[in-house]
Amino acid sequence: MKKIFLVCLMPLLIFSAFAAGQQETGEKKVTLTVAGRDGSYGDSMQLAADSYSAQNPSVDFELLKLSGSSLFEKSVIDMKSGLGSYDVILVDDPNITQFQKVGWLANLSDMFKNSGKSVDSGFIGSVLKLGKYPYTNDGPLFALPFAGNVELFAYRTDLFEKYNLEAPDTWDQVLTAVKTIDENEADVNGVVFRGSKGNPIVTGFLPIFWSYGAKILDDNGNVTVNSPEALNALNYFLKLAKYAPEGVSMYQSAQVKDAIYSGKAAVVTEVWPGWINKLEDPTESAVVGKVKVIKHPGQVEKSSPMIGVWMIAIPEASKNKEAAFDFINFATSEATQDDMAKQFGNPPTRGVVYGRAELTKKYPWYPAQLDALNNGVARTRTTKWKEIEAQMGTALQFALIGERTAEEALADAEKGIIEVLK
Amino acid sequence: MTQNKYQKSCFFYLILLPAVLVMLWLTIYPVLNVFTLSFFKYNYLSDEKVFVGLGNYIKLLKENLFMEAFRNTLVFSVLATAGEVILGIALALLFYGHFRGKKSFMIIAIFPMMVSSMVICAVWKTLYHYDIGLINFLLRETGAQPVGWLIDQSKALFSVVIIDVWQWTPFAFIMMQAAMGSIPEEIFEAAQIDGASYMKTVFSITMPILSDQIMLLIMLRTIDTFKLFGKVYALTQGGPGNSTETLSYYIYREGFSYFNLGKASTASIFVLLVVAGISFIYIGKILKKD
Repeated sequence: MKKIFLVCLMPLLIFSAFAAGQQETGEKKVTLTVAGRDGSYGDSMQLAADSYSAQNPSVDFELLKLSGSSLFEKSVIDMKSGLGSYDVILVDDPNITQFQKVGWLANLSDMFKNSGKSVDSGFIGSVLKLGKYPYTNDGPLFALPFAGNVELFAYRTDLFEKYNLEAPDTWDQVLTAVKTIDENEADVNGVVFRGSKGNPIVTGFLPIFWSYGAKILDDNGNVTVNSPEALNALNYFLKLAKYAPEGVSMYQSAQVKDAIYSGKAAVVTEVWPGWINKLEDPTESAVVGKVKVIKHPGQVEKSSPMIGVWMIAIPEASKNKEAAFDFINFATSEATQDDMAKQFGNPPTRGVVYGRAELTKKYPWYPAQLDALNNGVARTRTTKWKEIEAQMGTALQFALIGERTAEEALADAEKGIIEVLK
Repeated sequence: MTQNKYQKSCFFYLILLPAVLVMLWLTIYPVLNVFTLSFFKYNYLSDEKVFVGLGNYIKLLKENLFMEAFRNTLVFSVLATAGEVILGIALALLFYGHFRGKKSFMIIAIFPMMVSSMVICAVWKTLYHYDIGLINFLLRETGAQPVGWLIDQSKALFSVVIIDVWQWTPFAFIMMQAAMGSIPEEIFEAAQIDGASYMKTVFSITMPILSDQIMLLIMLRTIDTFKLFGKVYALTQGGPGNSTETLSYYIYREGFSYFNLGKASTASIFVLLVVAGISFIYIGKILKKD
């Protein structure tokens, strides 16, 4: 009797398991797995996913909030294996080149064409271009810009006024201001930046490097890091670093943020939108109304802020490409970008959002941020960027801590980068 | 009778086979795979795979960063192991015997070992902070100069050693405490009657009896410290300069940041050989005694 009961029960269980995957309307449930970032990017992605689910009840989300390095590792392992565990991934913009060289991302240009849609023109041109491979205006698109991150420059207006210093247009003016304030203000450091080796120090240095007219690789891929322009830039950087706090060589974003918010820094040569979104909040900041955020000064060349956009893409192996395509369009739409900026300070990738009165009141540096995105410089498009950055970062830090002269450091960087590119 | 015995053995081997196969799959296969990869220039991301023979080994031995990482790992391993073993033995001698509050002390003593390394690093990073750290605050209060614990190239590795010693001395202490508990008390009583001093008892009786356990402790701590990764990752990321670069951190970066699996495999084989060499020396000594 028991056996007969079990035999009858089994098909019922199997049927109910299948039925659970169907909507009452008969529509099939889709679960999109998103590999994204932690922090405010993660909160913004959560907001986008929740809003999308509210409008599309047949779509659920599994959202992974990962650190930058963990996201990279997991994305590479998944895409290489072709398992298609992730339907949507966030990609740091230089990695688009690396991923697409081996064809891991879905071609969005084709998907737009097949769906009868086109990429709308509201995206900031320089930012949208980062999703193209090859990196040309006409190249096919493999990712949409999710977070319009760009490096900015911050200085204390009250201290600049106190010492009759001009708003800095050139790096020379920055050095004069930093020296003046550092020598006269006992509790304030003239300048603060991330000095940790690898990505942090390179990121902080690149706007100086580029504005002195230096390049890591030329247009033909030759290593040009050890040039007279690069030497001028590094010598300038080392002069500036004399007014940085003791231990700046180990400073990470936490220490830099702490220095800005507590008012311990007169000039910060590297800030990111995600770091400064509470600068005007008196419960978090001791410098409300006292810090101006601008795009970087220029020198020989024009201002050259570094663009570091988080792109949103669909792995080629995803099993839910259509739903993923619809979602990434939603997440980068004007309305969602507006909501994410309002609630979590996610830097928008659409020009029109930067013009919203409510947002410019909350984030007074938005015009400068838009200007920086329009005029920023993208990191070198190469599959070896991470290794190049490591070589450059080690050499720069050796110069910063006085172990190598500027000339020796650049020669080391050149040698290391040539070895990497072999 | 012999045939029966043979059948019995066959049966035992047969039922052991699945476990042996799983073990081989989980241990021997990955090592062989890593060993094979070490002869290739292989980038997992781009799928470029070229046989280079001993090329990776030669390249690594010529690479400054790798050699610095090797030297740092060796210095760290020797200092941390020595510190932990010496302090562990000293504490075990100090707290030998029965006294009130011993249980409470033991619980407090093993606490650092129970806490996650990442939490420990976060706490120590604050303590070591140049401007706002407690240690430098105390130094300033006493009129001394603050120390760049994690920012001075000449001190950063030693600062990491201090944290490791703080975390793992309890392990050495507990191990030595257990070993000392197994020594019959009559031996000490006899030594006392014969008029042996405390130091004489420690160095002529306790230490020789505990030598096997000390050797085992040294081996375990050497192997563990040689694999130093978490503390470097959380505290210094290999800096300042290359002063805290270690072999494990080097392998991690080559393997998971650059996905140069050939080079990472070569460095892993290098570590495996060194650790295996150290283990064989210790095991050989222990077996020789047996």
